[in-house]
Amino acid sequence: MARKAKPKAGGFVPTTVEVEGRTETRIVEVPAFEPEPWTTDTPLHIVGARVPRMDAHEKVNGRARYTADITRPGMLHAVIVRAHTARGHIAQFDASAARALPGVYDIMGPGDAPAKTRLFGTEIFYHDQPVAAVCADTLANAERAARAIAISYNHLPFAAIFDDAAAPDAPLVKPGGNFAPQSPVIIERGEIAAGLAAADIVITREFRTPVQLHSALEPHGACAEWEGDRLTVWESTQGIFRTRGDVARALDIPQSKVRVIKDYMGGGFGAKNGAGPHTYVAALFAKRMNRAVRCLNDREAEQVDSGNRPATVQRVTIGAKKNGTLTVIQLSADVPLGISGWEGGPAQIYHELYACPNVRSEERFAYINASGMQAFRGPGYVEGAFGLEGAMNALATALRMDPLALRRKNFTKKDPRQGRPYSGNALLACYTEGAERFGWNTSRAAQTGRVSRGVGLAAQVWPTGGGPPSYAHVRINADASVDVLAGTQDLGTGARTVLSQIAAEALGANLSHVRAIIGDTEHLPYAGNSWGSMTTPSVGPAVRMAAMDAQSQLFQAAAAMLDTTPDMLDARDSRLTVRNTDRSMSFADVCKRLGNVMIYGKGSRGPNPANTAINTFGVQFAEVEVHLDTGIVKVLRIVAAHDAGRIINPTLAESQLEGGILQGMGYALTEERILDRRLGMVMNPSLHDYKIPTMADVPQIDAFFVAGADAAANHTGARGIAEPPVIPTAPAIAAAVADAIGAEVLQIPLTPWRVLASVPARR
Amino acid sequence: MAISLPMQLTVNGRLHRVAEPQGTLLDLLRDDLALTGTKLVCDRGECGACTVLLDGRTVYACLTLAAACDGTTITTVEGLGGVDGSMNDLQQAFITHDAAQCGFCTPGQLIAAHDLLVRHAAPSESEIVAAMSGNLCRCGTYPKIVRAIQAVAAARHESSATSATPGVPRGA
Ligand code: FES
Ligand code: FES
Repeated sequence: MARKAKPKAGGFVPTTVEVEGRTETRIVEVPAFEPEPWTTDTPLHIVGARVPRMDAHEKVNGRARYTADITRPGMLHAVIVRAHTARGHIAQFDASAARALPGVYDIMGPGDAPAKTRLFGTEIFYHDQPVAAVCADTLANAERAARAIAISYNHLPFAAIFDDAAAPDAPLVKPGGNFAPQSPVIIERGEIAAGLAAADIVITREFRTPVQLHSALEPHGACAEWEGDRLTVWESTQGIFRTRGDVARALDIPQSKVRVIKDYMGGGFGAKNGAGPHTYVAALFAKRMNRAVRCLNDREAEQVDSGNRPATVQRVTIGAKKNGTLTVIQLSADVPLGISGWEGGPAQIYHELYACPNVRSEERFAYINASGMQAFRGPGYVEGAFGLEGAMNALATALRMDPLALRRKNFTKKDPRQGRPYSGNALLACYTEGAERFGWNTSRAAQTGRVSRGVGLAAQVWPTGGGPPSYAHVRINADASVDVLAGTQDLGTGARTVLSQIAAEALGANLSHVRAIIGDTEHLPYAGNSWGSMTTPSVGPAVRMAAMDAQSQLFQAAAAMLDTTPDMLDARDSRLTVRNTDRSMSFADVCKRLGNVMIYGKGSRGPNPANTAINTFGVQFAEVEVHLDTGIVKVLRIVAAHDAGRIINPTLAESQLEGGILQGMGYALTEERILDRRLGMVMNPSLHDYKIPTMADVPQIDAFFVAGADAAANHTGARGIAEPPVIPTAPAIAAAVADAIGAEVLQIPLTPWRVLASVPARR
Repeated sequence: MAISLPMQLTVNGRLHRVAEPQGTLLDLLRDDLALTGTKLVCDRGECGACTVLLDGRTVYACLTLAAACDGTTITTVEGLGGVDGSMNDLQQAFITHDAAQCGFCTPGQLIAAHDLLVRHAAPSESEIVAAMSGNLCRCGTYPKIVRAIQAVAAARHESSATSATPGVPRGA
């Protein structure tokens, strides 16, 4: 087995991990051995194969159990009551009528929840803030009782948009002030004045992006049940261990007494990263009533209060030499976070996508009296790409330069922020192959008539290195079936399949004998949240290492049976062969001879390579048709070329690309949460009024990966792919619309009225 | 007081007597009959996740009163294949073409696609899109769903031409 000697195995070292644009330093142990990387030339059989999704069977026959499908004996139903004011205090709370209704078991109102859950205070900070909860025998009875609770409010002035919160005489959005602690966030390299002076052309534009709602079809939900002092929570979550930590902290119980289970889940997209009000409500009622309790968001709650991508205003100044060389990029951005959230603004991509010596961003983050933001697939980079790439396209026009040529001109061979080399970067190949497949250089016929076509493009960068800590176990059972154990989760991404493929490849097992067991904190080793496109590059190497460890034990056991030494053995398709002989033995026969001896391999994710930038890159090209009299935009086709290193399963990866592109298309064309400034209320909290793409909106999509493993990123050669495809879609579509109408596009979504308003009068 | 009459209905080939159906057909399926394959997403006819067949026609179970289903025949996703969990060709095609990511919309998609193929043995792409556009998918599996439906239509056409049993589509 190929092993590289590593100093300090077993010791602890610091390493950096980038999570959704934030760089964290972590102290992690060095794994017992560091496998040789799978390079582009390593012959692999199962990794890289178009294996069908391994949990698809349960999904197509209706047997996959999601959180809403979990029922427990005697289970009760909980419903959350939400505030009807955007700011104020609860003046009166009367649940007596509700308590008297049939089927009602329990009600929690102001002051009834432990402080650490932060639930049910008397002060209201946003419309639809949870103020109470009802527990009843049926959902219908719980809902009826929820409506019967009488609450009156003392209303206070509030701020529902950035400018209202930032005004000198603004009402206090919440204690502590109207701006986030780190605001303004300033990131800077070089000298803006020098960059402006060096430029031949400078343009300034202001871009606006909307609040986008995750709109996962499965709402947030939890089912909780106590057994003595131990709590089990079934939760639709992207992070079982984080949820466990949240619950233990909020309820003041040890983590070992909390078990979080997530089997199937109906999408997360960044909004399901820990415990939420529904989790605490279910756990608290379950304790108080000594019965299992399920609490699910209804669709309206899901749309109004389960996270969102915050809106942005981005003022961009960008300058270049006549030949297109960027000399300066300057961003000033305003981001209304809602009542809570982190400083995940649009700036990062401005610093990372192009070589430019002088870059400065200043982001102001205000709290407003509206539901808080949460990470949403490609947080910050999606918003930022719309501004940066819009500015790049405007600059290309001003320079009379092909926008693709402008991007090639400013391609950066090193991470432009810290000067680190990339583990791998095939963005130029993406440009070339994408342009070729799109026919970017094909000349287009002059437009006549009232339906106008246009083309556009945008590029993308996203940190996808993943990193430690992450652990996996691989266990070979007495019948040679294989369990892969990892405390990660599959959101519909394909993690079960991908991890099984990695294990089968590394162990030399037949894939059909391998099963990935994930999503349970009680029995599985730790893995981090499935966010930041991190699961494959974080958990994958741990799984590979665990499988290698198991294989080495199997080889040692089999060597004696085959009258050879372990180093003479090869394994493939669950069969061992002695090199250069015709002697072989199936895993099953070895295991039969071993009886119940358990082969148990352990693996962990090693530190990231020092001083290395690990990113996924890509470019997307769009062609649209715009009806100049109605403003209706039809996206005709998208060509997407991305570089994510090794692709473990091309079919599943392409599905991720298509899904990201369609969410990006929704962001470009139709998706916008409408919050009434005077009421502080969401006006479109349904799937009818908040429009996500339907099948009728789907363009022709040609989404692919440029070839090549990234052996420097980690030893599987794979980087993350979940978030990159959503980043460039909206700016590519906006550029195509701009091309079609002959006017710039500075704001999304491109609803018909907005497009009409932009169509120049002469057209 | 809600109407409370005992009634009978056939679900996935099995006769059920239900005492007091008070809510929607979706409640009845999910809560009373424990057929949780059919999903609740919007509860108001906007997403198609709860699509089932009622006497051979697609309906939104969230908008259908259970009490109105007396004497009807219902098919849910659990009834597309065999009781043992075996799959029909459409389900197999959804797997082969990766037409389910998270899978939450999938039961509704399958029923809608099944109904389309009953009505149109060889639907054009625009007929597929027209028939399926009431079924939302946030994961964006739409292109794969189209391909799965086309593959089934082609395979059924071929097998009826050679009068063999319905084939299982192969290849991606
Ligand atoms: S749940 Fe019935 S249509 Fe959405
Ligand atoms: S597969 Fe996730 S919503 Fe359709």
